[in-house]
Amino acid sequence: MIRTAVTLEVHKSRRLRVGVLCLVMVASVVALAGMNLFSDATRAGFSDPAAQPWEALLLNQVLMTAMTAPILVAVLAGRQVDIEHQGRGWTLARVAGFGPGTLCRAKAVVLGVVLTLTTGAQSVLLLGAGLAAGITVAPPLALWGRYTFCLVLVNLALLCLHLWLAARVEHQLVGLGVGLLGAFYAVFSLLMPVWAAYLLPWGYYAAISPLAMSGDHLVRSGPVPWLLALFLGAAATLFLLACRRLDRSEGGPA
Amino acid sequence: MSHVITTEGLTKTYGSRTVVDSLDLRVPEGCVYGFLGPNGSGKSTTMKMLLSLVRPSRGAISVFGRPMDRRTRHELSPMIGSLIESPPGYGHLTGWENMAIVRRMLGLSERQVRRAIATVRLGDHMDQRVRAYSLGMKQRLGIAMALAREPRLLVLDEPTNGLDPSGIEEIRELLLSLADEGVTVMVSSHLLDEVDRMASVLGILGRGRLVFQGTREALFDRSVPDLVVDTPEPRRALELGIPAVRVRGGVRVSGTTDDGTAELVRRLVHHDVPVHGVRRVRRSLEEVFMDLTGREGLS
Ligand SMILES: Nc1ncnc2c1ncn2[C@@H]1O[C@H](COP(=O)(O)OP(=O)(O)OP(=O)(O)O)[C@@H](O)[C@H]1O
Ligand SMILES: [Mg+2]
Repeated sequence: MIRTAVTLEVHKSRRLRVGVLCLVMVASVVALAGMNLFSDATRAGFSDPAAQPWEALLLNQVLMTAMTAPILVAVLAGRQVDIEHQGRGWTLARVAGFGPGTLCRAKAVVLGVVLTLTTGAQSVLLLGAGLAAGITVAPPLALWGRYTFCLVLVNLALLCLHLWLAARVEHQLVGLGVGLLGAFYAVFSLLMPVWAAYLLPWGYYAAISPLAMSGDHLVRSGPVPWLLALFLGAAATLFLLACRRLDRSEGGPA
Repeated sequence: MSHVITTEGLTKTYGSRTVVDSLDLRVPEGCVYGFLGPNGSGKSTTMKMLLSLVRPSRGAISVFGRPMDRRTRHELSPMIGSLIESPPGYGHLTGWENMAIVRRMLGLSERQVRRAIATVRLGDHMDQRVRAYSLGMKQRLGIAMALAREPRLLVLDEPTNGLDPSGIEEIRELLLSLADEGVTVMVSSHLLDEVDRMASVLGILGRGRLVFQGTREALFDRSVPDLVVDTPEPRRALELGIPAVRVRGGVRVSGTTDDGTAELVRRLVHHDVPVHGVRRVRRSLEEVFMDLTGREGLS
């Protein structure tokens, strides 16, 4: 059942410009985060580990991602769910034996794959940009990899939240507004004390930052593992419970 | 006669408002069942309950002889072709793409889909996006989606909504031919005229209650025919205080018994009103319908 539902979502996503949106997101993050690579001051430190050229690039990615990812997630979830509200898809699916919760889970699978690919591509391209620009210090691959992995997980958690919101609230501007506020919160979390990042889901874009400022130096950092695990576990559990409730409810989800 | 849909005491309340009240529906197999009622009488709510889209507050539903509830709906509802309120259709996809979604959802064959499209005559517009469809085209697509699975039962809520007269005629012929093939069709309307010529069994709702269920003939039989008195002096007849309305060449009295007729004629003759003729006329189905459901709230 869920496999059929996933196939259906892939077919429904036609013309929703999911791919284009993700490409724009990747391109803008890579362009904005990599901008400094071309300033002379930065180039001077390309072969000096003390100048931390990779760390600077990675921190730029964290900032740009915090700014854009919440919005991308909100837009993708909104588009993929809005078609059901507009086209009476909930009823169509329900009388064919697919509850709204099943539809939401299928959407999570499809968009989850897309977001994972987008996130991966973003990190790889940025790494490539650094190499192409001529950074000769060895890149901190493990650190970058860990950040990318955490980012994928946080994106998926937020995706679940936005899918649920988009299904429950028919007006899609609400989801988009929440995404925008979330982006603000994510960016501010990077500047606020560490604990603030753990208060709201969007703060986790900052909490997973692999680097922190210490004096005028960047030091390795990372999320509190059990807090991150708790957040991800709670998001997954609540989403699945909400989907089950939607499947058992009458009519549509809104 | 076996019944495809039966309900016992089917009731829906929203808060303290009862919008569907103790319905005992009997939809016989292989007929077109016209489900009639003025706006807001509870037709859509009832049909949603039949499809398990709305949970009944009370009562039981059985479809194909099996109870329809939350546990069985995933099995039963795909066997019913349905169209409830406005038709479904993804606006950003073409007609074909929409039908492909339905085909995958129900595991249908390409042939079934093509047949359904040919039946509703939407073939020329299938490459167009549904967003650009007219209401009538959307309605046809919705009917095609309901038909593609070749169901034994169709539940259609105002399927002729937005169709032009020739479209309505097409749907009428389509439903009749489906019934000939043994498909049971339950079709709702707030216009008696629309279902009158296709439904062999009628169920009439008035304010959530089933005020009539049976054949068209039984509905006529229930109403007492009107009496027309031909007279060149209708004014004088009316001045006698007879509960009548003036019609061409006389007056028309509604719903009189045989004794009442005798008494009426006696009074007219006694007051020297010239009576040229007295005859019974059948009331139109529309009038019977209006009497049953109350005259207000009809569009
Ligand atoms: N979700 C709801 N909450 C509260 N009241 C509702 C709800 N759905 C329907 N109603 C009420 O139930 C009554 C019956 O509505 P329904 O849509 O079944 O009527 P209908 O016979 O289909 O009318 P129409 O011919 O206009 O389609 C209406 O008075 C409506 O206001
Ligand atoms: Mg209705």
